[in-house]
Amino acid sequence: MNTFVCVKRVPDTSEAEVKVDATEKDVDSSKFSFDINDADNYAVEEAVQIKEAQGGTVQVLCCGPQDADMMIRMALAKGGDSAMRIDDPRINFSDPLQVAKVLAAAIKEQEYDLVLTGCWADDDGFMAVGVALAEELGIPHAAMVKKVEVEDGKVKAHRELEGGISEVVEITLPAVLTIQTGINEPRYAPIRGIRQAQKKELKVLKLDDLGISEEEVSEDSSLIELKRFYIPEVESKAEIIEGEPEEKAEKLAEKMVKGGLI
Amino acid sequence: MNTELQNFIEKYDLYGCIQCGRCTGGCPVTVRTNLNVRRFVYDSIDEDALEELAKLPEIWDCTACSTCAVRCPKGLKPLEVLIGLRGILVLEGQVEPTVRDALESIFREGNPWSKARATRSDWMEGLDVKVADPETEVENLIFVCCTVVYDPRVQVTVKNLVKILNKADVDYAFVGDDESCCASEAFNLGEEELFEMMVEDNTELLNSFKAKRIVTISPHCFNAFKKQYPDLKAEVLHYTQLIGELLEDKKLEFTKELPQKIVFHDPCFLGKQNDVYDEPRFVLSQIPGAELVEFERNKERSLCCEGGGGKMWVESDSKLERLAETRVKDAHALGADVLAAACPFCILTLDDALKAKGFEEEMKVSEILEIIGDLLEE
Repeated sequence: MNTFVCVKRVPDTSEAEVKVDATEKDVDSSKFSFDINDADNYAVEEAVQIKEAQGGTVQVLCCGPQDADMMIRMALAKGGDSAMRIDDPRINFSDPLQVAKVLAAAIKEQEYDLVLTGCWADDDGFMAVGVALAEELGIPHAAMVKKVEVEDGKVKAHRELEGGISEVVEITLPAVLTIQTGINEPRYAPIRGIRQAQKKELKVLKLDDLGISEEEVSEDSSLIELKRFYIPEVESKAEIIEGEPEEKAEKLAEKMVKGGLI
Repeated sequence: MNTELQNFIEKYDLYGCIQCGRCTGGCPVTVRTNLNVRRFVYDSIDEDALEELAKLPEIWDCTACSTCAVRCPKGLKPLEVLIGLRGILVLEGQVEPTVRDALESIFREGNPWSKARATRSDWMEGLDVKVADPETEVENLIFVCCTVVYDPRVQVTVKNLVKILNKADVDYAFVGDDESCCASEAFNLGEEELFEMMVEDNTELLNSFKAKRIVTISPHCFNAFKKQYPDLKAEVLHYTQLIGELLEDKKLEFTKELPQKIVFHDPCFLGKQNDVYDEPRFVLSQIPGAELVEFERNKERSLCCEGGGGKMWVESDSKLERLAETRVKDAHALGADVLAAACPFCILTLDDALKAKGFEEEMKVSEILEIIGDLLEE
């Protein structure tokens, strides 16, 4: 089973204060920490577990700047065999269709059975790259996958639906699966493994290397234009409940009862 | 068999053990877990058993308090056998998610708390803080500690230290933005190679300053720098030693009264591992109006709070009373108003225990810096 796993480097904004920068086209990331996108980390673990059970290879694929190399090395330390990073100023990262096109170009000429991506990116939350990638490659996909069963030439993908329902689909390989968090428990990448992973191949490619023309991928050819970021204004209805914890709880409960919420 | 496992006997001098059992006899966590460190030392002689031993949950109960090492008549460090077993799992990548996240965070961000490196000096905002410059000689280079920097409960300690250093006109400077974790906890969690990498990087950084002494806030950084950083040029002090000097030299004086009964809890990494018993007590003794009392188990017999040895990231399966709760109960029985400690981990575990026991109305858990920061003349 030869698997490609696509990873993205994203900022951790869970605790940081997010501020829009002066251009309104980006956020001030000077106080952020960056790491592998959470769902992608699960995808890497799933790819490695499939390789451990079935044999084959895991290739790590990333669209992004050099800063992403440490995250890629960590994925290689966990069991990836080699990696490709595509870094080109022509890529409009706000356009998931373009990113999918670039990833597809890196994959399509190679022998592969499975492509795994995270089901969504923690920064832009598009949930689109994996699905668009399947379209570009002309192969089937399953999104939001919580369990994978590999069978001969096929996979059974358990998909997480709303309301706690799971859907099981059987897909003929090759296929794209977008992986949901919680599918496994990602392993630790020890420093020894990261050092050993320095010896594994990490190819850095430009769009020209993949034969992608300006007409196909560039700012101008993108179907999506980022207009601006903004922080929504605080609505006048927002109310801060003051007082000691007990008082706060009582006031909150009262409001919920009055509002018919409980 | 890989060489890692073959080296186990030699690395921990397993044949040096006479199986006297003083290690297990003194081990504080045996009252609440199944850990029998003597047994692990014995069983680890069988190289083929190591992988299985590493799967036993008890290896994560050790708090690295070092009571076993202090009491060993053969001068061995039984706890390090447990750390070695943890290391087997680390190399396989098979550790608890909380341990994984702490280690990866030390590697990526230089702290175990998954906080951004870029926010490390945010605590300095609005304070008159001197930051070190490699070109300028400085008497005391202050190393803050990741927990103090990022945890809102204990951040007050470094803020108060700044107040004290400025007040006493001390020649000091903080390491600043480039400060990274001392990695003591990476070592204790079994990630030896991450620890070695951090030792190398931190030694280079700290030696790049013209500092006579390095002063730490946490006893864990203090212990690591003193014992596990062989190439550090500067002398290493714990802050209680510096404050003790300032009080002795009359450069610092507590002018406000604190008519309270204070009991001091000896942090393991300060007390039994480095014999710093007197300085924290001296500092507390200089508080006007305060009455110092002692635990029955004090100094080298002090009861561990279970905050060290990577235990901030590993929960024990045991449902029995936590040692920190026992400590809080003992302090309460002494009628103490304040349970004082000089370690961020002790403060966090004891404060949690205070809440769990419901003694918040009657007693406080306070870092020494927290207490004395309020006793200076404005």
